[in-house]
Amino acid sequence: MIWFVLIAFLGGASVSLSRQINGRLSLSTSAMHASFWNHIVGFGLLSLMALAFGGLFAPGTAEAPYWAYLGGTIGVVFIALSSWLVAKIGAAQTALLIIAGQMISGVVLDIVMGAPGNPLARIIGVALILAGMWLSQRKR
Amino acid sequence: MDPRPYHFLTAFGAGILLSLMVLFNGTLATYGSLLFASWVPHATGTVVALVFLALMRPKKASKARPPLWAYAGGVVGAFTVMATSYTMNTALALSGTLAVGLAGQMVFSLIADARGMLGLPQKIPNARDWAALALIVAGSLILIFFGGAA
Repeated sequence: MIWFVLIAFLGGASVSLSRQINGRLSLSTSAMHASFWNHIVGFGLLSLMALAFGGLFAPGTAEAPYWAYLGGTIGVVFIALSSWLVAKIGAAQTALLIIAGQMISGVVLDIVMGAPGNPLARIIGVALILAGMWLSQRKR
Repeated sequence: MDPRPYHFLTAFGAGILLSLMVLFNGTLATYGSLLFASWVPHATGTVVALVFLALMRPKKASKARPPLWAYAGGVVGAFTVMATSYTMNTALALSGTLAVGLAGQMVFSLIADARGMLGLPQKIPNARDWAALALIVAGSLILIFFGGAA
């Protein structure tokens, strides 16, 4: 169990590390350049892994809805925005506000798509996040 | 630098984009392999980034060449995908992976800010930052474990 927790923790830390590295690249180039390099380097690495281990194409792949292929387009904008933000407002603020946006829109998506969930927990969770955002945004 | 309202809105908007990205890539993973669901967005993302670069022609911020490691963000990102898809299928499940990952993100970010790590500006959190952090993390954990966000 300790091993799983350690890997999950490192997985989270790697999100911030990758953002820090892309942010540094954007300081020398631009946020969109950083996003481009992030994607092409990842693409190269994953292609090598596909060649080495196989298993890239599975039966049923062709049946995915067309909109499921739009993740990369969103990812380009996401990486560019977060590379720009991390150099401006710091890693912790960037991470916190992105998490806030992800959590609250996650609740909205869940409700829209009819996913089951506890309404009271959703209200309390969203209220705490909004309170935290209000606090960090208030004029000093 | 304190976040201005437009930084604030941009970060929040980026979080919304992240939700959609997880939904789209996750849907792809239910039809194809996990590798496919990570390979496709990197392939299309590379092409789309090239189009954006051609249209926007962003100026390079500096003539000096960045250090070679600054190009390694994508390598670290590939590790993220592997680590999280691994722990999702253990006793931690998705909610545990998200919750522990949230802790990993925040601990690393705070250390990175405090030290000005990897050539980014140093930033020491004040009491208000800590309080905001506690509220947002608490709200997120409630959503992850009880709200059906997982």
